[in-house]
Amino acid sequence: MTTTDVPAPARPHRSATTPKRRPKREREGAAWVFLSPWVLGATVLTLLPMAVSLYLSFTDYNLFDPPHWVGLRNYTQMFTEDPRYWRSVVTTLTYVVIAVPLQLALALVVALALKSMKHGKGFYRSAFYAPSLLGASMSIALVWRAIFNDGGTVDNLLGTGGWVNKPGWALLAVALLTVWQFGAPMVIFLAGLQQIPAELYEAAAVDGAGTWRQFVSVTVPMLSPVLFFNLVLQSIQAFQVFTPAFAVSAGKGGPADSTLVYTLYLYDRGFVASHMGYASAMAWVLLLVIGVVTAVLFRTSRSWVFYASEGDR
Amino acid sequence: MPGHRTKGFCASAAALALCALLAGCGGPGESAGGGKAVLRYTWWGNPDRAERTEQAVALFEKRHPDIRVQTSFAGYDAYKQKLATQAAGGDAPDVMQLDYRQIDQYASGDVLLDLARQKDVLHTSQIDTGLLATGRVDGTQYAVPQGRGTETVVYDVTTWKASGVPLPRAGWTWDDWADAVRTLAKTTGKPGATDPGQSEDAFEVWLRGQGKALYTKDGRLGFTADDLTRWWTFTDELRRQGAVSPAEQTTQLDGSVENTPLGRGKAVSDTNWDAPASGFLALVPDGIALAPMPSGEDGTPGQYFKPSMFLGVSANTGHPKEAAQLVDFLVNDREAAKILGATRGIPVNETIRQELGPQLKDFDRTISDYQASLEGTLKDPPQAPPSGDNALQTTFQRDYDQVSYERMSPREAAENYLTEAKAELRS
Repeated sequence: MTTTDVPAPARPHRSATTPKRRPKREREGAAWVFLSPWVLGATVLTLLPMAVSLYLSFTDYNLFDPPHWVGLRNYTQMFTEDPRYWRSVVTTLTYVVIAVPLQLALALVVALALKSMKHGKGFYRSAFYAPSLLGASMSIALVWRAIFNDGGTVDNLLGTGGWVNKPGWALLAVALLTVWQFGAPMVIFLAGLQQIPAELYEAAAVDGAGTWRQFVSVTVPMLSPVLFFNLVLQSIQAFQVFTPAFAVSAGKGGPADSTLVYTLYLYDRGFVASHMGYASAMAWVLLLVIGVVTAVLFRTSRSWVFYASEGDR
Repeated sequence: MPGHRTKGFCASAAALALCALLAGCGGPGESAGGGKAVLRYTWWGNPDRAERTEQAVALFEKRHPDIRVQTSFAGYDAYKQKLATQAAGGDAPDVMQLDYRQIDQYASGDVLLDLARQKDVLHTSQIDTGLLATGRVDGTQYAVPQGRGTETVVYDVTTWKASGVPLPRAGWTWDDWADAVRTLAKTTGKPGATDPGQSEDAFEVWLRGQGKALYTKDGRLGFTADDLTRWWTFTDELRRQGAVSPAEQTTQLDGSVENTPLGRGKAVSDTNWDAPASGFLALVPDGIALAPMPSGEDGTPGQYFKPSMFLGVSANTGHPKEAAQLVDFLVNDREAAKILGATRGIPVNETIRQELGPQLKDFDRTISDYQASLEGTLKDPPQAPPSGDNALQTTFQRDYDQVSYERMSPREAAENYLTEAKAELRS
């Protein structure tokens, strides 16, 4: 997992509290040497840009003239004077509510199907994962646009006309592109399913539980930590959706702003209208909101996520 | 078993995902080529323009073995955004193609080099003084116009003729135009034209036909919400009648001819600039022709000869002389002009224009003849639009989307546009 390096920076501090005093310095020094690539990367590529973006969010900056301090004006303008801002918020929420549950449901169904497969599991797992590797690319998003355009595949099969040029349908086309990339949560679900001890199912079967009953009473609770993990991660990603909306709407968030999700509007303000200060302010609000949403998810998780090890107590 | 680690793992993974959100993107520095001066030259345009430009650049490299030119091009919208970001990072290409809308912003943002300092290698004596002045900001020559273009009604000749509707003629008015597209829609079964409501350029032509302008001399709006409401009411009615393209088609316009209703075979005509209209040749097999834009009811022409593209040199270039040589070559060299033809509009160099004019072939010939037919009938071009106009072009199209999808009345959308435009021009 790529995330294993995250707790690493905390280790030097932890070791500082250990009683052995002598080698502490040396060990700390060595730790920093080994950490330096990460520290350097995090500072230059993440922390510095974040600091600059925080500063810019209080300025008026058009890329050409030096930024000039405007205090909270970007924030007040966003909340009180910009109807498009609120429309982009609503669009994003709509998108999250459509895409995340659909994607997780699909991932779970496929993972369940794969789990019970006897042969060719590896092949199908790769096959279902492939869209996640391809789907992030611009080219697939462009193909998606062509498929859902008038005269495209969907139009020819269903006779619905194009989706990407109808305000009521375009966002659905964008959401479907995300849903289709269910590979990452699927693999995690599959791993989670395989962790569930077989004796639980055997015991349930002995007690007379059918397939559905086993799913509800064994699979779901045992899988809930993984479900929670996928929910948090996919929600964070969904709030930040950009590429599919950008490509499917040809960069404009159209038709009639129907696919203008938050980050696309942020991009529009920053790179099309050259209001970098405003765009930075939008980015910080998004960060805070995602933080709050994540915190809320963690809070509610207490009532429905079942951790086997805690359950032992 | 994942056990209690899962929770901590979730939290850290969430934190990591959050951090990725705020990390911006930085621009890397510039590398130098071994021994040779390396110039970066970028432009926007279609594949036809790209092919001819590559040929001209190859010729330049042959003449100057000590200079290597790295080229790149994109569609107009993408080009505009990328260039602005590069310029802000101090990483603008050495030689860049610029639009009339960009000159003011780029010049006042210190992105461009004062070209007068390179007058030893960059000659401008052959360019019409009025046209040359369009590349000047506050008395400094920041850019050189590369071609001259004007708007046109480009139409599918065969379909139009077969419909029996009289062909467009010089001096036709917007009412004549509206009648023509209405009849075309009835007889051919497809809309007579692209809905021009989305186009700030078409609106400008319509406005100038009434003696008004997009911007005043001091860079403020030159029209009122009433003017814009009338324009959008006019186009919206035609759309409702099916005389111009429906919203589903209009919304797909992105500056490329491939995505116009005419290019997709869904309309009989389009309003466009004359040089890029060459792209329709490959898309409309029956052939196309160019007609003047409609004029005001009293015959006042709204279209004008616009410097279609400029070349500017980056203020940060390491090779100002070589960059200026490339600009001079593209504008003044006879061989280069032959290769480039009218792909960026009719050449600005007077001698070359007179010499090459009669030799132009195919569609270059069509453009040349079209411009010649307008010579002397048009009014002076407006001065370079104020910086904010860059973003407003997109705003205009977006606000009209609200009208054509019937989410706002022309009046509401026009008020909306004016509010946004005033804010944009103030900042």
